[in-house]
Amino acid sequence: MKTFLKNITIALLVAAAVPAAAQEAADLSDTEIAHVAYTADTIDIRYAHLALAISDNSEVQAFAETMIRDHTAVNEQALALLDKLGVAAKDNFLSQSLNEGAAAKRDELAALQGDDFDKAYAQNELAYHQAVNDLVGEVFIPNIDNAEVKSLFEAGLEIFLAHQAHAEKMVENLK
Amino acid sequence: MRRAITRRSVLRALAATPAVLPFTLGRAAAHNGINHSPQTHEIAISGFAFDPDVLVAKPGDTVRWTNHDIAPHTATAVDGSWDTGPIAGGASAQITVNADMHLDYFCRFHPIMNGSLKLEELR
Repeated sequence: MKTFLKNITIALLVAAAVPAAAQEAADLSDTEIAHVAYTADTIDIRYAHLALAISDNSEVQAFAETMIRDHTAVNEQALALLDKLGVAAKDNFLSQSLNEGAAAKRDELAALQGDDFDKAYAQNELAYHQAVNDLVGEVFIPNIDNAEVKSLFEAGLEIFLAHQAHAEKMVENLK
Repeated sequence: MRRAITRRSVLRALAATPAVLPFTLGRAAAHNGINHSPQTHEIAISGFAFDPDVLVAKPGDTVRWTNHDIAPHTATAVDGSWDTGPIAGGASAQITVNADMHLDYFCRFHPIMNGSLKLEELR
């Protein structure tokens, strides 16, 4: 089980281009897990803003707008729930690693233009959602204690799986 | 001696049968296809799917989509001729069915979501 968790964490970090050591994501508390999820949402929103600034492709732009719309909606729900529970999301090693990796990936994407950017953005979206979905589904959800937080993550996973399918189609269309 | 049939006598006779008149007129009108009582049909949006994904309705009916997901959705004609606009989580939007409308629709934000309406003709 530990090896499995480590592999998933590594997959997530690799997708975000983070050369960080894999640690036990399963040991994170609910508020730390919430912080990771909020961070992951925000990272994808920033990728999307980059796509809107660089891409002229209508499919890529529509996808990016959907990422902003959906991840913002999820984050609003998460903040509302944390507020209701009277707790705050807690920063942790995984959130920090994700942010570092995302900064590097943004620099990499920002150096591209045209079709090269579109393909790289689409492939990153697919890999990123696959990795996050594995982490959320296999590690976070089984280890969340609070029922309402767990329920929100299950609803979020449903959204991100749809994004993954959407990204997969976008990658195909851009070949 | 025959009684003259006057406008007043006809009205008096009709007034004596209040329950029959609407029924009779209703049947006649329905037969002519002009007395369809518009209905409201509900479609739930849940788990990134329209439920039901195929809905039978008549011209004049209302179709209402209610979004149970967190993510906003739309119901948008495939040819773009009609669009509910964004439906936020927990919100609803509706359209009125007409005989000439395009029947296949999707979610503009999530193109993997598809649905269709089927027209039942007025009788």
